Amino acid sequence: MRKVLQSLTPPPKWKVPVIISLGILIGFGLLIFRISNASSYLSDNPNACINCHVMTTQFASWQRSSHAKVATCNDCHVPHTNIIATYMFKASDGMRHATMFTFRMEPQVIQIKEAGSNVVQGNCLRCHGDQVHQTYLTKSINLEERDDGVGKYCWDCHRETPHGRVKSLSAYPHARVPQLEPVLPEWLEKFNSE
Amino acid sequence: MRSIREVVSEKPWVGWLLFLGTLVIVFFIGLLGASIVERRAETQYLFKASEEIKPFEPRNEVWGEVFPRQWETYEHTLDTSFATKYGGNATIDMLERYPNLVILWAGYAFAKGYNQGRGHLHAIEDVRNTLRTGSPQPATCWTCKSTDVPRMMNEIGVSDFYKAGWADMGPQIANSIGCADCHDPKTMNLTIFRPALVEAFNRQGKDIKAFSHQEMRSLVCAQCHVEYYFKGKDEKYLTFPWDDGISVESMEEYYDDVEHVDFVHHLSKTPVLKAQHPDWELSQFGIHAERGVTCADCHMPYRSEGGVKFTNHQIVSPLKYISSACQVCHRQDEETLLKNVYDRQDKIRQLTETAEGILVKAHIEAKTAWDNGATEDQMKEVMTLIRHAQWRWDFVAASHGASFHAPIESARILGTSIQKSEEARGKLAAILTTLSVKLPVQMPDLSTKEKAQNYLGFDMVEFSKQKEKFKEEEVPQWEKQTEEREKQL
Repeated sequence: MRKVLQSLTPPPKWKVPVIISLGILIGFGLLIFRISNASSYLSDNPNACINCHVMTTQFASWQRSSHAKVATCNDCHVPHTNIIATYMFKASDGMRHATMFTFRMEPQVIQIKEAGSNVVQGNCLRCHGDQVHQTYLTKSINLEERDDGVGKYCWDCHRETPHGRVKSLSAYPHARVPQLEPVLPEWLEKFNSE
Repeated sequence: MRSIREVVSEKPWVGWLLFLGTLVIVFFIGLLGASIVERRAETQYLFKASEEIKPFEPRNEVWGEVFPRQWETYEHTLDTSFATKYGGNATIDMLERYPNLVILWAGYAFAKGYNQGRGHLHAIEDVRNTLRTGSPQPATCWTCKSTDVPRMMNEIGVSDFYKAGWADMGPQIANSIGCADCHDPKTMNLTIFRPALVEAFNRQGKDIKAFSHQEMRSLVCAQCHVEYYFKGKDEKYLTFPWDDGISVESMEEYYDDVEHVDFVHHLSKTPVLKAQHPDWELSQFGIHAERGVTCADCHMPYRSEGGVKFTNHQIVSPLKYISSACQVCHRQDEETLLKNVYDRQDKIRQLTETAEGILVKAHIEAKTAWDNGATEDQMKEVMTLIRHAQWRWDFVAASHGASFHAPIESARILGTSIQKSEEARGKLAAILTTLSVKLPVQMPDLSTKEKAQNYLGFDMVEFSKQKEKFKEEEVPQWEKQTEEREKQL
């Protein structure tokens, strides 16, 4: 360890600039962590899913559904088979969303993808398995099987659950949803606005 | 492993490389940070109007400064590059595409020129340029073309506005349809600025103020995209014929009762009704309207730009944005949805052309009957049938998007049109036989617009010359007066 550190130490006349630029780098990193609300993504709080407002309608339709009482976004949209699967899925989905948002590539109509569908189907059964275990419906299916007519996703019949049938920008035109907390602490915000 | 210190002291450029590398990384992290800050802020400033807009402000650019997203998308109504199979925003010479129209409108300015309408911001330019304007017309013709209309109505009064001459109002009417036609300048609420719609609803016992926001998203369009006529020989009072209802039969009955005639047909001498554009009325018979979908839902779909959601103000055929217009409710792919639209349009088009072909024959056969000495008495029933058949055909043909808005109602109306034309032709055949005219009546060659216009004896060169003169002499004066007037605003 020490050897590695030593081999990375810059020559004496470079030390000061290196310290300053490293400081800037880490400072920026912290700033971005703060303003992007990064820590919220580790939680299960649905508010994290509308940090960027793109999924406001999805949030609003969930919030007004019966599932809002018992399940958060992550309960359905993230696998819960094991902790590694959970965080791998969260990370890969999160990175894709962040990239799309940063480069303004988000589509006008948000539709669930294959990986997401399979996860949701698994999660339906995670809670409701007992209710359907005596029927052939207990089988966890994937998109290919469903398209081949082998089985159905739960929401192929339960079409309104939980987001309603129109899951789009048109569904909740003026929904009130939680807004982002300010980046600055309250006292500084006050000072700033004066 | 050698330490960086040693490497750099041997090769100083490695040090500079590291420095530049860090610089680039910090630069991009900074950019990311700035973008996050910016995107966090965009939702905060969405509804904070920066300036106040004065009542009756006609200039769209002034509103645009306060509502940049709405204005930017509205400016796209200037686009003329999008053509669908039957419509879109590109100019289409309808007479060239469907030469039968020239015959059907013989005796009316539409036979001179009729183009597929362009976007809202072209309104003033297109009305000045069409061959249909220039002759003595009332200012009523301006009613739906400009944000200056509510301003002038407020200044001189509604009935005096209608009574004025079209050319007299020329210098006043300068800003194409826009913000002030649908929005209250203070609250931005959807508001009705055209008296005709309010009056029509009042006569039906409905209160325009009682409608919900969702309904208003169609009704602001219904200020103009409806069937109308100018009531009174001198008053020229813009009126919607809805007293008995908004179906094609109710309006036909209304027009028959008030004995309204748009023009007397040159060939058949029928007192013809010209349908305007009953877009709103016909759409009300469609499944979308029945389910509460409004004009704006498809023609001005919501749009998300990152954290900001707003209404796309580029009013255009929804086929331009199939995704945001259709897929918000229908999860089929774009190709399927497009096919669903075209299937309906193709079929209604087929019926429309059938109706047109038979009507043309009826007009020409009626002309032959007159030429061979038919009497008013003999022709009375025939003319009523032709009047109703043409009204019903035109009702569908003139209604933009009817074939998709309400395909079943459109097909029903066209069916009755065809039936009435054929009934008229049956009677004509009997009349022609008594006049000992040889059947079938010889039909002229109407395969192109020119041939059809020649058949009617039009001097199109003369029409165009008059128009050019008007554009060169009168329009620049209007523009000069407008400029001076608006300087003082």
